[in-house]
Amino acid sequence: MSAAPARSGARLGPGELTFTFDGRRYRARTGDTAASALLAQGVRVMGRSVKYRRLRGALGAGAEEPNALFSVGEQPLLIPNVQATRLVLREGMSLRSQNRWPSLRFDLASLLQAGGGLFSAGFYYKTFIWPCWRRYEGLIRRLAGLGEAPRGCALPMAAIEHLRCDVLVIGAGPAGLAAARAAARAGASVVVCESEPACGGELEFESALVEGLAGAEWIAATLAELAQRGARILTDTTVVTDNNGEFIAHAEPGGLPGRNAVYRIRPRSLVSAAGALEQPIVFTNNDRPGVMLLGAAERYLARYGTRVGRELVLFANHDRAYASARRLLDGGMRVRAIVDTRDEGTVAAAGALAPLRAELAAAGVALFSGHAVTAAVGRRAVAAALVKPLGTDGAARRIACDTILVSGGWSPALHAGLHGGEARAYEPRLGAFVPAEPPAARVHAGGANGRLELGAALADGHAAGARAAAGTGAVAGTDGGAPPQAQGDPPPRLAPFARSPCSVADEKRQFIDLQNDVTVADLRVALAEGFIDIEHVKRYTTLGIGTEQGRSSAVPGAAILAELRGVTPADTGTSRPRPPYQPVTMQSIAGFHTGEAVMISRRTPLHEAHVAAGGVLEPMGLWMRPRYYRANGGNAFDAAVAEARRVRAHGGIADGSTLGKLEIAGPDAAAFLDFMYLSKASSIRVGRSKYMVNLREDGIVLDDGLVLRLAEDRFLATTSSGHGTHMLSHFEHHLASQWSGRGVTVTDVTDAWAVIVVAGPQSRSTLAQVLGAAWQRSLAGLRHMDFADGLHAGHALRVLRASFSGELAFELHCRPALAVPLWDTLQSAGLSPYGLEALDILRIEKGYLVGSELNGQTTPLDLGMEALVKPGQSCLGRALLDRPAFHEGTRPRLVGLRAADGRAPLLAGAQLTTDAASTRPCGYITSSAYSPTLGEWLALALLARDRAVEGGTVTARDPLRGGDTLVRVVAPVHFDPTSARMKA
Amino acid sequence: MTRLTCPFCGPRELCEFEFHKTVPAPGSVDEYARTYLRVADAHLSIEHWQHVGGCRAWLQVQRNPSTGAVLAIDMLAGEPR
Repeated sequence: MSAAPARSGARLGPGELTFTFDGRRYRARTGDTAASALLAQGVRVMGRSVKYRRLRGALGAGAEEPNALFSVGEQPLLIPNVQATRLVLREGMSLRSQNRWPSLRFDLASLLQAGGGLFSAGFYYKTFIWPCWRRYEGLIRRLAGLGEAPRGCALPMAAIEHLRCDVLVIGAGPAGLAAARAAARAGASVVVCESEPACGGELEFESALVEGLAGAEWIAATLAELAQRGARILTDTTVVTDNNGEFIAHAEPGGLPGRNAVYRIRPRSLVSAAGALEQPIVFTNNDRPGVMLLGAAERYLARYGTRVGRELVLFANHDRAYASARRLLDGGMRVRAIVDTRDEGTVAAAGALAPLRAELAAAGVALFSGHAVTAAVGRRAVAAALVKPLGTDGAARRIACDTILVSGGWSPALHAGLHGGEARAYEPRLGAFVPAEPPAARVHAGGANGRLELGAALADGHAAGARAAAGTGAVAGTDGGAPPQAQGDPPPRLAPFARSPCSVADEKRQFIDLQNDVTVADLRVALAEGFIDIEHVKRYTTLGIGTEQGRSSAVPGAAILAELRGVTPADTGTSRPRPPYQPVTMQSIAGFHTGEAVMISRRTPLHEAHVAAGGVLEPMGLWMRPRYYRANGGNAFDAAVAEARRVRAHGGIADGSTLGKLEIAGPDAAAFLDFMYLSKASSIRVGRSKYMVNLREDGIVLDDGLVLRLAEDRFLATTSSGHGTHMLSHFEHHLASQWSGRGVTVTDVTDAWAVIVVAGPQSRSTLAQVLGAAWQRSLAGLRHMDFADGLHAGHALRVLRASFSGELAFELHCRPALAVPLWDTLQSAGLSPYGLEALDILRIEKGYLVGSELNGQTTPLDLGMEALVKPGQSCLGRALLDRPAFHEGTRPRLVGLRAADGRAPLLAGAQLTTDAASTRPCGYITSSAYSPTLGEWLALALLARDRAVEGGTVTARDPLRGGDTLVRVVAPVHFDPTSARMKA
Repeated sequence: MTRLTCPFCGPRELCEFEFHKTVPAPGSVDEYARTYLRVADAHLSIEHWQHVGGCRAWLQVQRNPSTGAVLAIDMLAGEPR
């Protein structure tokens, strides 16, 4: 274990802790991030790259980090791809590097790159194709992917908090704080989201005075005023996406998902002040551990007292590098050289810089202008920088160092989740892209608006906050006051510079996108292959994919692509990043919607009775329905067979409450139903019911059910269980449009009536006994499809004689309060409940549609309902039924099937072919069951009309479950074709 | 989440609404055209929605599919299809 050096920094606490990285123990201070603690102890190699497996260290100090991704914890509960630069350490934390096997020092796959240079763009597409790409899939899958997926999940359930405010400020740097304060002073309600654990942004380490206060004091004073004005400051919280005006913010305290993880914020207007991201400059081997962003080195020093190296070379294209060098020197690091890409004339033009440069030179810093770092030297980490003059053939100078700090300017954070379809414009002054024409309710401020100077950023933020507050019409409080005045670093005077010159061969080691291993050579290949548009280049080379999303690669990528194409970055543009800005765990997205809470479920009044009787429930739409009862058999098959047999022999009861029930009333009700259904409702007599079918407007069957005529102007339509709400919408749609103003209403009465189905030969006698003398006459008078209304135990009861089982059967429509007593009495009278599996057996035996026949592809003609289709009908969907294609021989036809040997099982889903040699299906089995009544397997199937000849044979093919079975085509009605039992 | 302004209930989240279809091209007379020929305009889409999670009103929504902007929301009336 290394000794913990004494460090002091703005984010360090007094305590100490230990953690492990790749099995080794390290010390840290409280408040340390994994990266700051490791760097302080001299650990620079933090992972390998995803494609070439090159050693990588931390490039940045925060959310911009592309390389240092760790797995936290151990399988099965590990969390992959956590940025070491954001991960705040806790005692005993176990961290592992990624993309290496067997170890970080030695990785087998990295030998791949030793062979013959690196894989270029398109390598996989071009190489792993012979004789079939599938042969290589396993190998590639082992090598591909970022990190390792967790096998389990122990993350806390994430609460989702909904917030409303006048102004949402993204980013609590100087511009964001100024904006929030101005908006709050104007009386607006303000929410501020800051992705760092602390507010202040650059002010945290820039030596600056704001309104006469030192940076830290101004931050504290502003936060205090915001709190007093009721603003809400959410730190550790990143706005990850704009969901059409609702912003999703994800909290990751300490870099890991926490308990209150997701905010859904709906502001009236938005100030985007997420700052600007420092951009690297591309040079040969710029991915070596030890190459780091200049601003990151300053952050490590100011926040954690971590010195990222001992001997530094700074490489930049702007004035800021000199002020940074001063601070790094003061922090105890040795700055060997500052390599400035701008020529001496440009650098010297700023007179104010001269004293600082003289001071640095006196401190032993070699100052190069018009030079560039062309390569990092060193196999495992930086050992020296090669420095060459630009524009001349001067010799390369080798400067020994352990760290190269690079800064190529700043790119406004128009981040993935925010910019949506917003345009970006190239700003040559910055060498980056700035927002162009944002919508009115969205103001960019500060660095995010290309204002890189502290004073300008503060003023911009202040103005943006005031404008955003005014846009919401917030009640004016005090005015925003004067914009904050500040003294900080002077403007950077940047000259765009994207990459150092090198030979074409070395372009393979000039890395643009470190996370995805995209090099300058890859861009060249893409162009040679004809991929010119930046979006195509992105897809071909993987530039800016993954969690990187162009944060450090978009601007250099655009500039280098422009250079290779001989155009400007304004012409190439950048690819559009995708939300979320930071990875969001699936657990956070799911929140509490897991397990039973994923969906609401509807329960019938008899639910408790089913559970008490050992019913095994299954969902149907939102409904829970009993499949079978455990008392009747150990599994679904045995229980269903026993239940079905008992219904045919004596009788049984079933819960039909889940049927959709719509009451259609009014003088035009009959005419309305005549339009909505294929057959006529107007011909139903009061007290009678009819089996009816609805069509979609294209002629396909939508649903079927019974329609009861309760009165001249009142009908009750039943729908299938899963379809009730959809059918209600369907009816309402037509009522709201061409039936609007007509005398008809539709009311959903599904929950107002419980339904108990009483089926079997003993159903009538049992009902007579249970309902008592008052119902004797009406029961005796009920013919098939008749119904009678009355009272039972003081509650409304309707008895409908209708059958879905082929047995003499009755539906009792009763008030929910009556359901349980009636159910219990029926059971005491000798009828046992049966479940859906048994009902399916009974339906298949009788040739009734089970459900999978109404698959959204079948017409009434396919289902054998020709009797319902007549010329001259004008109902919905009827016209398109006459399309010729619906009458061709290849259309399906509902048939019954039985095994030729009378024994083999038939399974729904099996494909039907004309014979065992044929592989082209001519139909398939839609539903099947073992019939205890007939002693063999029965099936319903959709078979091509040409083949649907009774007595013919086809082969049912089910290679995964049962192999081939020769089957006979029979009529769909397998049992009691004359319906003698039903009409008894 | 996008919000739609229901004429009865005011601005409500999109999840309360259910999309049904876009309206047929104007001048579609025969049943085939009315069922299958829809308008595909990059800047104006006229659609039928229902406020299923609220007042259940059927609405005609005019949107700009290119920007996602909602241009108008009215009660559905007259010809349905």
